Amino acid sequence: MNFASFILAQCLGALSQAAVLFFIACGLTLIFGIMRIVNFAHGAIFMLGAYVGCTAAALSGSFVAALIVAPLAVGAIGMAFERVFLRPLYGRRDSGAHLLLTFGLAVVLSELVRIVWGAQPKSLATPEALLGIVMILEQPFPIYRLFLIGLGLAAGIALWQFLERTRAGLLIRAVSQNSEMVHALGTDVDLVRTAVFGFGCAMAALGGVLAAPLVTAFLGMGANVVIDAFVIVIIGGMGSFLGSIIGSVLVGFVQVFGAYYFQDLALALMYLLMLIVLVARPGGLLGKEE
Amino acid sequence: MSWRLALALVAGVALLVPFVVPQYSLTVIVSALIFSLFAMSLDLMVGYCRLYSFGHAAAYGLGAYCAALILTHLQVPLVIGIALAVLVTVAIAVPIAWICTRSTGVSFAMLTLAFAQLGYAMLFRFRELTGGSDGVVGIPRPPGPFGIDWFQGKTGYYYLVLACLLGSYLACRAIMRSNFGAVLAGIRENEAKTLSLGYNTRAYKTATVVLSYGVGGLAGALYAGFAGYASPELFFWLTSGHVLIMVVVGGAGTLVGPMLGALFFVFLEHQLSQVTDLWPLIFGSIFIAFVMFFPGGILGLLRRRHAAA
Amino acid sequence: MTKLARRKFLKGAAAASALAAAPAYLKAQASAIKIGIPTVITGGYALLGSQVMRTCRLVKKMTDARGGVLGRPVEFLFQDTQGDPAICVRRTQELVERDNCRILSGVIVSSEAAAMLPKLESWNAVFLSHGNGDGRLTAELFVPRFFRANTSAPMGARALALYLRDAPQKKFMAIASDAAWGRSSNTAFEAQIKRVGKDLVDKIYAPVANKDYSPYITKILQSGVEGCYVALQGDEARAFYSQATQYKLSQRVQFFTEIVAQADIKVLGKDAIGLMGSSRYPLTYDIAQNRAFVDAFMAEYKEIPDWSDGEMYQALMILFAAIEKARSDEPMRIVAAMEDLEVTSVKGPIRMRKCDHQGENQGFVVRVGQHKGFAEPVGEIVKIYPREMTTPDCRSSSYST
Repeated sequence: MNFASFILAQCLGALSQAAVLFFIACGLTLIFGIMRIVNFAHGAIFMLGAYVGCTAAALSGSFVAALIVAPLAVGAIGMAFERVFLRPLYGRRDSGAHLLLTFGLAVVLSELVRIVWGAQPKSLATPEALLGIVMILEQPFPIYRLFLIGLGLAAGIALWQFLERTRAGLLIRAVSQNSEMVHALGTDVDLVRTAVFGFGCAMAALGGVLAAPLVTAFLGMGANVVIDAFVIVIIGGMGSFLGSIIGSVLVGFVQVFGAYYFQDLALALMYLLMLIVLVARPGGLLGKEE
Repeated sequence: MSWRLALALVAGVALLVPFVVPQYSLTVIVSALIFSLFAMSLDLMVGYCRLYSFGHAAAYGLGAYCAALILTHLQVPLVIGIALAVLVTVAIAVPIAWICTRSTGVSFAMLTLAFAQLGYAMLFRFRELTGGSDGVVGIPRPPGPFGIDWFQGKTGYYYLVLACLLGSYLACRAIMRSNFGAVLAGIRENEAKTLSLGYNTRAYKTATVVLSYGVGGLAGALYAGFAGYASPELFFWLTSGHVLIMVVVGGAGTLVGPMLGALFFVFLEHQLSQVTDLWPLIFGSIFIAFVMFFPGGILGLLRRRHAAA
Repeated sequence: MTKLARRKFLKGAAAASALAAAPAYLKAQASAIKIGIPTVITGGYALLGSQVMRTCRLVKKMTDARGGVLGRPVEFLFQDTQGDPAICVRRTQELVERDNCRILSGVIVSSEAAAMLPKLESWNAVFLSHGNGDGRLTAELFVPRFFRANTSAPMGARALALYLRDAPQKKFMAIASDAAWGRSSNTAFEAQIKRVGKDLVDKIYAPVANKDYSPYITKILQSGVEGCYVALQGDEARAFYSQATQYKLSQRVQFFTEIVAQADIKVLGKDAIGLMGSSRYPLTYDIAQNRAFVDAFMAEYKEIPDWSDGEMYQALMILFAAIEKARSDEPMRIVAAMEDLEVTSVKGPIRMRKCDHQGENQGFVVRVGQHKGFAEPVGEIVKIYPREMTTPDCRSSSYST
């Protein structure tokens, strides 16, 4: 294998990793942007999405079914949680409340997954259509990962356009900047918040279904990924959608190239990156200083 | 009941504990007291300065590993080793505090998290020194100085931890009631105004963070001497999450509240895990309930009942 | 509670406990043999812990049915360590101090075991490993009260290396988890594979709980090796094999794994067929003791026993044999009885050699495939190596032969 094909393979690997991370991170940053809530439960929601997806695929025999059912189901659960638990707390002055609440949710949700699905991990077979490899500069690369890159790109562009060009997107951006004003202008801000929280959870769940053929669905996959999601959102800027895209790509590349070139430091590189960014720009690359 | 009387009563009961409870319970109690110290140290930042740290495990882990390495390699007496560990932790905390206090709010929290995770990763990088995933095993409790060795047994160690806890509490309480604490109150309520009054708010915040790391480091060092073992889990973000829960559930900004939160947390986890393997579910539900219905934490609950009675 | 009420309560409690203790004292002669199992019930390795517990329950059922050990029933006390060595030590201390339980087994993580070793003396306990693989436990970290019944990581690597000596593959790569067991395994394999004249191109250590193996897969592809040694477990192993299958890596590189886990095979399904490895428990080993165990296990749980089920069962058989030989459950008597004890169990004849308390196990190399009588693919035995060849030098992880 020559250097060019090797670098290309690594870059594509990094991008496919970034795609999965993006689905999780964009939900997290949207939720923070709208509600100023640091959603600790985001990893558990990702895990729930993976498990629901596995079950949906097992029952229906279709990967597409999993891709549709999991985000819808988990998004609905997210909206219910927001309505029942989070909404009463918006008036509270101290931010400790929602931290604890989402942390508690993370613990409860993880346990519920263990109780419902058991300790045995679940598999989600790579769909037949995406099962092969393509030769890129004479090196094999899985079609499934190309699919991930494509889907991530499409979703990123679609969401970006939605936020920039549509009325609903405008509303969401307005609420994240000045919710009182928007409320005074007659919009039901609570509804927007519920919808965005549900959407953020749906995206994380979608990430879970997409990750399942790569890592299988297992207990602890949530705790595993939540810290990565936080790092991405912090680097990109909490509340910035574009920041979550940039952050995902940066972290994907750091993880992949770090693992290859700096085996000993692989774990540390991501946090070093976060530190450097925060010291240079405390709000993150595209964020606003709090 | 005056504060002094309450303190004397609690101290009195605490002194008698080793004679009343069985030895294996003492292990849990000592763990709970060490966590109380750890939680109290976080309260300095969270309750008195409104600086939410997601990385306080760094203080704990630093104290534990410094003590572990000092005691294992340098053969100094236990108390000297612990004191040295605290000094090293404080020294490392100064640049960390300085960098973190550049930001507030969520950025501050994330910076502290970054440092803690970095610490965790570094443990694996310097495997020869720290033992990597194995950790440091077989930490001794060397006697001295002057041949003092009553802390080598479990009962003796209990008194050592108790002394450190009471001493730290009194010291922190004194600091928070002094002018320093008054300035912190000003920063807490309205930082801009305090700044405009001429106070270097960043220096005050940095000092608070360093103090917080120092006391947290003391807790970590005591832990290392107690368990005889230091492992990477001490640095992990879950540890930071747990201690934050202890502070908020106990009642932030009171020093005593977080101690109660820690005791509650340790005993609840201990008892529940004996009874059922569904304990994390019950645990998480209790926290959610606290947040929803008892925002003042345990201490707030006790005060309300006391006021009503 | 008022002071007066408190004093009355304490007096009453003291009286009640004295009364409660009396019948226990009278029952002392027929009391149970207590075995402490500080294992992982919640946390990352919960699956392995659940396997340990289910085998213990099966063994209790079987043992009680034939009258117990030394005529006494066996009682297993389970504690949750959450996979954290510090919590493990704390929980075990409670088992020892509160429950007077001085026989310990069922610990999952090697670093948990390593943390316990220095404490065994002060606890007056004996610890029998059923599945801890780190070579150092019977080498640098050896203590007299520790015994290892199972195949260690160096022994697993050794069996594979012996097999690879005659295999067509010449160039190898090794990938392991950056944990104590993984490091031990990789180091042992490196030493062994070079001994048999093959080439180890590189060693990879993936961080614990790594998710994306694409950089490592790319590295393996780039290196042009024909074989790859895999010392990964559970979540990490499944992630690695799932991703490697997508790259169709197994068409270019033969995988050799240090642990063949039925739980992983079950999840990977037909993607696991062709995988070769060193098996710590050979399901298809055709001797009477194993057939009986498999039949009993499947009748009870309707599932194929996994490697830690088989290893736990063997460990318990060895423990009971030692207790019966010592005619006591006192720890130091068990230690004396277990030294050089020879038992035939599900893995064939085992000798707990005296010099370092390592159980001399045969080495089994298996290939995953469809086997008659089992619904899922299982590891079929390809080669068996005698104990003298697979057990390392005394108090060491290396081999001089």
